[in-house]
Amino acid sequence: LGILDKVLSTVDIQKMRYAINAFFYPPQGDLAMWIRRCLTGRLNLTCLGLALLAYAPLRAAQPQTQAGSPQGARQRGIELFEKYIRPVLVDKCYECHSKSAETIEAGLELDSPAGLTRGGDSGPVINRLEISGNSQQNATAAKSGQANQATSSLLLRVLRHEDGLPSMPPDEKLSEEILRAFQQWIQLGAPDPRESTGVSAAQLQFERRRQHWAFQLPLAADPPAVEQADWPRSPIDTFILARLESQGLHPVHDANRATLVRRLYFDLIGLPPTPEQVREVVEDTAPNAVTKLVDRLLASSRFGERWARHWLDVVRFAESSGKEFNFTYPHAWPYRDYVIDALNHDKPYDQFVVEQIAGDLLPAEPYESAADREARLIAPSMLAFGPKRHNSGGMDFRMGIVDDQIDVTCRAFLGLTVACAKCHDHKFDPIPTKDYYALAGIFLSTEPLYGTIKQKYSNNPTDLLPIGPNGATLHAAASAYEKKIVAAEKPWKAKQEELKKAEAALKAATLQKKEAAKKASADKKGTSDKKETGEPNTEKRLAQTGQPVQPNGKKLAAGKSGVTKPADQTPQQAFDAAVAQLAAAGALVTKLKGELAPLQTAVETLKKHRPPRPPYAMSARDRAKPADTKIAIRGDFRKPGATVPRGFLSALEVADAAAVNPAHSGRLELARWLTSTQNPLPARVMVNRIWYHLFGRGLVESVDNFGLMGKKPSHPQLLDTLAVQFSRDGWSVKQMIRSIVLSRTYQLSSQVDATCMERDPDNRLLWRATPRRLSVEVIRDAILAVSGQLDLEPPQGSPVTALGDQMVRGVDPGKLQPPSNHRSIYLPVVRDYLPDLFDRFDFPSPSLVSGRRTVTNVPAQALYLRNSPFVAEQALHAARRLLATGKTPAKVTGQGTVKGAKSVKSPADAIASRALVNRAMRWTLARPATEAENQAALALVRPILNAKPPIKNGAEAAWATLFRALFATAEFRYLVDIEPATTTTPQATPITDAAKINGAMHLAANRSASLREEIP
Amino acid sequence: VHALGAHQSAAPADPALSRREWLKLGSCGFGSLALASLAANSAAASSSAASFSAAGPLAPRSPHFPAKAKRVIFLFMNGGPSQHDTLDYKPQLYADGGKTGKNKQKLLAPLWSFSQYGQSGLWISELFPHLAKQADRLCVINSMQTDSRAHPLATPLLHTGSFQSVRPSMGAWVLYGLGNPNANLPGYITVKPTRTFGGPSNYGSAFLPSAYQATRIGWEGQPVKDAKLSHLSSQEVMPGVSQGVLDLTQTMNRQLLQRTAGDPDIQGVIDALDLSAHMEHSVPEVLDLTRESASTLAMYGIGKERTDDFGRQCLMARRLVEAGVRFVELANRGWDQHSALDTILPKRCQEVDQPIAALLTDLQQRGMLDDTLVFWGGEFGRQPETQILSGKVALGRDHNATGYTVWLAGGGVRGGLAYGATDEYGYEAVENPVHLHDLHATMLHLLGLDHLRLTFRYAGRDFRLTDVYGNVVHDLVA
Repeated sequence: LGILDKVLSTVDIQKMRYAINAFFYPPQGDLAMWIRRCLTGRLNLTCLGLALLAYAPLRAAQPQTQAGSPQGARQRGIELFEKYIRPVLVDKCYECHSKSAETIEAGLELDSPAGLTRGGDSGPVINRLEISGNSQQNATAAKSGQANQATSSLLLRVLRHEDGLPSMPPDEKLSEEILRAFQQWIQLGAPDPRESTGVSAAQLQFERRRQHWAFQLPLAADPPAVEQADWPRSPIDTFILARLESQGLHPVHDANRATLVRRLYFDLIGLPPTPEQVREVVEDTAPNAVTKLVDRLLASSRFGERWARHWLDVVRFAESSGKEFNFTYPHAWPYRDYVIDALNHDKPYDQFVVEQIAGDLLPAEPYESAADREARLIAPSMLAFGPKRHNSGGMDFRMGIVDDQIDVTCRAFLGLTVACAKCHDHKFDPIPTKDYYALAGIFLSTEPLYGTIKQKYSNNPTDLLPIGPNGATLHAAASAYEKKIVAAEKPWKAKQEELKKAEAALKAATLQKKEAAKKASADKKGTSDKKETGEPNTEKRLAQTGQPVQPNGKKLAAGKSGVTKPADQTPQQAFDAAVAQLAAAGALVTKLKGELAPLQTAVETLKKHRPPRPPYAMSARDRAKPADTKIAIRGDFRKPGATVPRGFLSALEVADAAAVNPAHSGRLELARWLTSTQNPLPARVMVNRIWYHLFGRGLVESVDNFGLMGKKPSHPQLLDTLAVQFSRDGWSVKQMIRSIVLSRTYQLSSQVDATCMERDPDNRLLWRATPRRLSVEVIRDAILAVSGQLDLEPPQGSPVTALGDQMVRGVDPGKLQPPSNHRSIYLPVVRDYLPDLFDRFDFPSPSLVSGRRTVTNVPAQALYLRNSPFVAEQALHAARRLLATGKTPAKVTGQGTVKGAKSVKSPADAIASRALVNRAMRWTLARPATEAENQAALALVRPILNAKPPIKNGAEAAWATLFRALFATAEFRYLVDIEPATTTTPQATPITDAAKINGAMHLAANRSASLREEIP
Repeated sequence: VHALGAHQSAAPADPALSRREWLKLGSCGFGSLALASLAANSAAASSSAASFSAAGPLAPRSPHFPAKAKRVIFLFMNGGPSQHDTLDYKPQLYADGGKTGKNKQKLLAPLWSFSQYGQSGLWISELFPHLAKQADRLCVINSMQTDSRAHPLATPLLHTGSFQSVRPSMGAWVLYGLGNPNANLPGYITVKPTRTFGGPSNYGSAFLPSAYQATRIGWEGQPVKDAKLSHLSSQEVMPGVSQGVLDLTQTMNRQLLQRTAGDPDIQGVIDALDLSAHMEHSVPEVLDLTRESASTLAMYGIGKERTDDFGRQCLMARRLVEAGVRFVELANRGWDQHSALDTILPKRCQEVDQPIAALLTDLQQRGMLDDTLVFWGGEFGRQPETQILSGKVALGRDHNATGYTVWLAGGGVRGGLAYGATDEYGYEAVENPVHLHDLHATMLHLLGLDHLRLTFRYAGRDFRLTDVYGNVVHDLVA
């Protein structure tokens, strides 16, 4: 009765409060709900007696299983739900946690049983304990279990406003009574009588987002009809022209030949054309002159060196680990060479992708060459050279690598930012967290082989891949030899130990003898009948007796501790014994030393004659026990959620994809899925990357993000048509480049048209060629090419290899970037320690995936070009080269012929000087100087040539200044129209047009031009 | 005329002066007569295109809301200074020194005495006698917390707000948010940065355009006397050549500008070259401490062995911010007292005490302290207990990320404030804890930047300095 009384009071008040609350606080705008709640409240009052009986055991917090079957528990739970839980959910939670919510907070939907069961980003919110069976034992166990389960349920902890968790509802804490009801309800298995509301909001959202254009298979479209039908040269042009015409725009003129030649040289091989190379094409009247040039450039080995760099940006290639302890990666460079080779040999892009993900897992082809096999083993380096925290360990370390691998894989090949799904379902794209861990399982089952050695702060060394001819054999021999050294070191080290002990004993014996000598001498003084001093006497005595010494260090040591010093010994006797001991100890040391020497020599000899090691590369391999992994709640692997089977992104349904073989990591299946023609993204993403490098802007501007937050394609049909063509025609990168650069669109001039500029100032519709700045590698290579210093022979390996395994901060920065005249792609890419020039000219951080580079114009660049020793030195080299050409008769086209210009030291040699100016201009800008430029250049050069007193090496110095000026010009580092050779004065743009253009550009700068909104 | 736009953007206060300066530079250069006709040709195009230079990455931008501070001097005490011995007065720790603490080591009573200073009565230890005189200017936060007690993680965390990934440094964010007020100087300068624990990424721009990374002067360990900014001048065979080279380059650039109908990128190149010429002139001038009076040098402790180096750094910082640099970081290393606290900590304090006090005084005297935000602190603090090193009790303290002390001064913060508190021994913040993300948010707030709105889209989402954290601590704001 007492219990009932107690229960009555709480239940009664609670019910009444709810009824009153419901009446006075109607839910906004929802009359039906208000009526329902009031009714519920009144019903509660009416049926109080009945309810009391039903709830009495619950109120007492004594859910006795024997008092009811599971069905009974469910029934009680449902009643609790209706009375307490549902009103709270509706009233306090749905606003943010239901389908009707504007955004579903924390991924938690509380308006359906499925949502409640599923939980949110932090995992399940209710820990259910199934009540099964009726036995007393089970019931007791279940009882305590239930209580724990309930209190540990996230839902309850959040409602209780526990520390370290969000407090819900945000502005108020529910009453204790309601909280207790929640607890009991969970203890009763959290039964939920609500009807399923069909698919959850998350599923709905997933389906809706999956309709995004990029997740649909690309379909080739027929080129549209165009008015200016004689303009297009290829389907590309038709698509472009159609779009231009639809906006009332038109393409400008074609670029002149010299402009096109320069553009093609830089775009395809990243080097400036020599004057001869320009002339060759300019003077070639054959209709296929440009095609021949394109084919020649694509066939050049320089092509791979240019385009590999684009790819290295994407895969964040680097030769050190970065992060807080930055360790060298001496064996990353083979990947660089692999990419260069792949591009030069036009390796089909799908194969290129498969090799980088799973080259090590590909079955050996019957006629596969050793080089091909090695290439596909090096390719997975991409999974190994990412930034890493080598000082961490365990899952911290492994998960860090996996996060990076998922990020680079999905952004590089799919243009998707999957990393966002690590902690919660992707906020924008249809990528649920479980997909992230499906991929994580694959990469956790993979062991990246990046090398490094065990040293301070480097806890996780791995094997490496021996490469080169006989790489494996050499590595095996070297490893066996290392074992031999270890074996030889064993007896040597043991002997060393022995010697150490013997030496300690000798030291002790020496001391003991000294002591004994002191005592003996004191004793002698006392008796004073012997004259001899201790020392010589000892020697003599020893020599006389010739007593054999027992080479037993241990015994001597024991003797030291007093065994050989009986009490009845006289000091002299003790002294004699000590002398003997000392002799024995000395003899032992001598003997051991003698024995040690050959052992040491043996080790040293072995070490001196180490067999040559092969070069090594990074790689990857499957771990011994591939396994699925668990979702890490909120990205924290210490809070594991449900296990997810290994797999791919569920939004991209690839019909012909194979499921992961449980015995393997699943990388090969992933690679096949990534390159399937049924996968809508890989071809589009790569075609777009190619387009970006040739136009300075992708058809999809966000080249690494094709998701919902990415930019929409400016020419969707063109993109899709090219994507289909790409995969259909054997994924040939070279063919794709070829068809783009042979289009009329690519070959447009960069001339400005006032109307077009006004309508489309950003040139999104490609009515002209946008002036583009060369990338830093190209700027450097061009300077070296002009100076004649460029070493086109690819270097062997990398300077980082010579540094060995060490922490970068300990290396002199000069050694990280030793002087080099090789092409820029071969300069070491040490994270955080890039060449100065790279840092200044927008080289992307090699710790981050960067498909697109920013282009900035800042004074630091100007300072470098004007004042750096590098540019000064190259200018001097260029001047020497220029003067050398001047000494022999040289034909200079365009500006007449120079005959036998011997020396420019004479100021009178004006013609020769003018020829030199022209040549310098042709080297740097692929065009001769205008008359005004010629004058200006000579005005710079002459005072130095004519200086009184003469300047040492004045000619070199003088012409070097001209090159310094040229290297710093915008024209040198921009792809812009070259004025035809005949034009000596620049064509002035008509004033009206100029005003219009400037107005349009102003608009462009203010980001409010007309087409900006219309053109995605 | 040509560079007028650039100067308007660089120094909007006095365009006329800029114009005069430019004319002086541009018209009496080497071989200028021959260039005159060319320059005239390109003038029409460039003057109208000039306005575009304002869109450059470093162009000054308005803050989100009126700013209290316009610039930052960030004093990084590398290693983690001991708050118990400097700025977090713990009477109970004196009393209970020698007793066993909660981490099972002996509590180490502070080795120096504290007194109250100024109107505010701020508690400061005898290790900072000069700074103590500035007590009423200091906004001491005793309740700092950060996410890691390991140098390698806490250092990038302090500088970039993250240790998991490479992220832009705070200075880069500030430059991105506010631009560079004086284009004649780099907007973000770091002096003698560390090469350890992330090294250059602590002052890098990560995914922000590289224009926002810091310009480095020297390396840690190098005397600041020998530290130089590179490429500010070149060897010339005869005087005037450099100007002549620049004139020819710019003449050709202006011609190209005309040919490209005023392409904004080409205009950008022209502006950058002009600015580089100004930088050549202004940077050495700003860094030339000999222009300071003997009394100023003495105030900073320059010339005295122990204070010379940091004194130079502080004076350099004052000269830099005075000239308009947005963000300057100075570093002093060796604050990691696991042992020898009794001998090393006083040395460190002596090195920085007088110079920093002089910096505050100097800024105040020049009316700049009000809008210059000064930060002092390490990547974390230290423990109240002694440390066992190699099995032996050392006179030192281990790292502490749960409670430590930093201070702010100037820039709109409340002076003479001791904010928040640690427990009685100084293990952890118990009152008004301020997480590092909160500190970042607050510093941005003082600069007029809303840390929630200062974002950059990268890899499919908008990133910010404070990631998904950070609350502005309004109590620190005056």
